[in-house]
Amino acid sequence: MNRLLRISIPLIIICIVSGVTLTASYSLTEERIKAVEERTITEALSSIFPGASFTKTDDYYTALAQGEEIGYVFITEGKGFSGTIKTMVGMYPNDTISRIYVISQTETPGLGTRIAEPEFTNQFMGKRIEDLRLRRDGGLIDAITGATISSHAITEAVRTGAEVARNETR
Amino acid sequence: MKLDELTKGLFKNNPVFYLVLGLCPLLAVSTSVDNAIGMSMGVLFVLAGSNVIISLLRHWIPPEVRIPCFIVVIASFVTIVDLFMHGYAPELHERLGIYVPLIVVNCIIFARAEAFASKKPVSASFLDGIGMSIGFMLAIVVIASCREILSTGKMIIFGYTLIPSFTQSPSVVMLLPPGAFLTIATIMALINYRHIRKERR
Repeated sequence: MNRLLRISIPLIIICIVSGVTLTASYSLTEERIKAVEERTITEALSSIFPGASFTKTDDYYTALAQGEEIGYVFITEGKGFSGTIKTMVGMYPNDTISRIYVISQTETPGLGTRIAEPEFTNQFMGKRIEDLRLRRDGGLIDAITGATISSHAITEAVRTGAEVARNETR
Repeated sequence: MKLDELTKGLFKNNPVFYLVLGLCPLLAVSTSVDNAIGMSMGVLFVLAGSNVIISLLRHWIPPEVRIPCFIVVIASFVTIVDLFMHGYAPELHERLGIYVPLIVVNCIIFARAEAFASKKPVSASFLDGIGMSIGFMLAIVVIASCREILSTGKMIIFGYTLIPSFTQSPSVVMLLPPGAFLTIATIMALINYRHIRKERR
């Protein structure tokens, strides 16, 4: 019994101290992290429609320039190679893509992470919804060598998101 | 003698090539020099910190449960680093965010806690942590340089072009997992070859 206590008490104390420290760090950083995430969204929005102002509706943002609707922005998610890929997509009223911007992803560094780079995302500019497939699936998007799953995931997510948005913004 | 704790991690006891530790993140993150530097900065911070804490607690942790104790300390340390980085250094977090959780599974940290910090005083453990991290950084940057040059035909570090593109058809296999194995194996073979020749003399 004594031996059991001698062994378990330090471990229990370490776990309690660690739990308390983690809780404290979480509540200390919670607000900052939220602010950082909101700023990421704002930055993503203005990179898609520079200079526009945005009004938020249930599922999407409407981009306004001098009171005129110049497009819509929505966030879409897809399951990538190792986790969720969250992408922000800008769409013109004529249902072509203006730009996409990867908000968060956990793909393989150096391979899948390249879906967030302009070389890949710029391909989406001006594409019609039906062309948003990889070339092997009959679309116009070139997959990244060595990261077909990530490329496929984001392309599919953008297309399904755009299809939903097209119906909603009508 | 003190300085020796720092320098032994660089070459003589290099964690990657000599102790053969931390190969999992090494394989995953050595695709570009940028990533390699990011990962090693995270390792440096966590390893130095966890070594200090474990060394402080070394007389108090019962040997029977030392492993769960180390794991709790290391994992808490990593989580705290991750949270604060996310809140207070978002740019850095965006760069390193995916590597920070990976640090928990870097066995170099655990191995140094078990083999060194749990037996040695705080200052020596701190120096050991720094030395081992720099050793890890040396190894991963060398491997990442080889892979980046061969797989992209150029070398760009944090936006600065060190080697402009010299080939139209770089070898993609170097970017994929086999490239990592090939590079590590070649470098290790060279190192062992040198050792064997030295011993024969």
